[in-house]
Amino acid sequence: MQDGSGGGGVTSNVIGVWRARNVLKYLVRRDLALKYQQSVMGYLWSLIEPIGIGLIYYFVFIVVIGRGERLAGTIPTSQYILYLMSGIFAFMWTNGVISEATGALTGQKSLITTMSVPREVFPIGRVFARSAEFLAGLPILFAIAIWVGADFSWYLLVLPVAFLLQATFLIGVALLLSSLNVMLRDIERFMRMLHRLIFYSTPILYPLQAVEEHLPTWAQMIYKANPLVGVVELYHAAWFPQVYPSPGLLTTCVLGSFITLVAGWLVFYRLEPAVLKEL
Amino acid sequence: MTKPIIQARNLGVEFVRNRRRNMRLREMVIRPFDRQRRAEQETFWPLRNLTFDIQPGESVGIIGKNGTGKSTLLKLIAGVLKPDEGEIIVRGKVAPLIQLSAGFSGDLSGRENVHLVAALHGLSRQQIKSMFDEIVDFAGDQVKRAIDSPLRHYSSGMKVRLGFSLVSRLPHPILLVDEALAVGDREFKKKCYKVIDNLLAEGRTLVLVSHSQPQLTRFCKRGLYLNGGRLVVDGTIQEALDAYNGPDEPHHEVDKDDN
Repeated sequence: MQDGSGGGGVTSNVIGVWRARNVLKYLVRRDLALKYQQSVMGYLWSLIEPIGIGLIYYFVFIVVIGRGERLAGTIPTSQYILYLMSGIFAFMWTNGVISEATGALTGQKSLITTMSVPREVFPIGRVFARSAEFLAGLPILFAIAIWVGADFSWYLLVLPVAFLLQATFLIGVALLLSSLNVMLRDIERFMRMLHRLIFYSTPILYPLQAVEEHLPTWAQMIYKANPLVGVVELYHAAWFPQVYPSPGLLTTCVLGSFITLVAGWLVFYRLEPAVLKEL
Repeated sequence: MTKPIIQARNLGVEFVRNRRRNMRLREMVIRPFDRQRRAEQETFWPLRNLTFDIQPGESVGIIGKNGTGKSTLLKLIAGVLKPDEGEIIVRGKVAPLIQLSAGFSGDLSGRENVHLVAALHGLSRQQIKSMFDEIVDFAGDQVKRAIDSPLRHYSSGMKVRLGFSLVSRLPHPILLVDEALAVGDREFKKKCYKVIDNLLAEGRTLVLVSHSQPQLTRFCKRGLYLNGGRLVVDGTIQEALDAYNGPDEPHHEVDKDDN
């Protein structure tokens, strides 16, 4: 494949995905229908896991270990649960996309090998399907915010920004993982480790400030290169303006998200012919 | 002369034999130092150096022994496989009557499946709505009664009937058929034949892969005979069939009027 045609090909694929947005809608609806059987219980069901995780960590770190005072300078202890939950909902979305994106192509083989739709819609569909779960969690987050007496300020407007950044990043990741997984079926095995890594390497349980205090500068740079750090901090900033990410972190986050998207799309594009043969 | 609706130029696809997937990780890492070994990997070309034009409204039969690249060619036309060599230009959407029940998911009802698959084939909501009843009616009473139950409760015949019914109603100008007509009972087969006759009469383009001589002679005027991944004969369907049947039996009489 000539390099000259490569760029044009990717662009035309992007346009193709936009044209196929109707298909995308149907795929997402199918995924959601299968998962929640279109019922209220299905909706509540999707919230059990994040709320459960939130309560466990709250119990362990605040009640048992009593680490609340570490947050004292940054976040009122009484509102720690809000800090925790806003990070956990974002993490659950990431988590869901990573585990489902790997199978997005291999699991829908029969659709892909009989229909000529832009193949990107399959992994991208997974990102949107899981975003529904994230959005379903927002009312819970607002309920918690009211309960702990958090401020409802203009900073809430960063929520949609954080959402879009995370979606950008996750689409890149989904494209990358879905196509790589066809070629290297053992990639799924690394995912469990990746889940843990992502959970502990983003400021969900602890404030970013703690990282800045305890890590050497070079390690901080590696830590902050992860676009999810900025994304999670934005989610936090919606409720706690004092943790609003620095311009540097914000730039890293935006750049990182878009670089991931472009890189994911390029890898997908390069692997696509081989992927189609393997399926 | 109008532009060909399907245009293949020096078309070729390369497959790697016996590739072990987990080898790829290593390969991707060491590739820069490992060019030689990569070149030694055993590859084969299920199709190579194919050049042909198909005009709108033509009906073309593809003939060849098993494993000579017929299905690969259909996949290339359908756009679900990309060529490694040459190019294929398809000017128009394709309705693939290939693996008819393949696009369906067992957990969804027949109704949801029709909506999903039709959307995947590029139909709008309104289009799907307006032809939904027609699709279900054609698939038969059995399917009609079960339309709201999950597809995994359908028999394979029911799935195929629903699939045929859906894909044959797509407004796309190119029709690809891969042995799909061999399925279903005699009655349904007759209905299918009639549908294809009608579609051809409307001026659609047909590409048919089949081993059945009566089917080929019934629907196709032109024949492409593939052997070992090469295009050996491009002529009338009779010429292609003669080449396929070989010189020892020039007057092939078997099952000539099975229809």
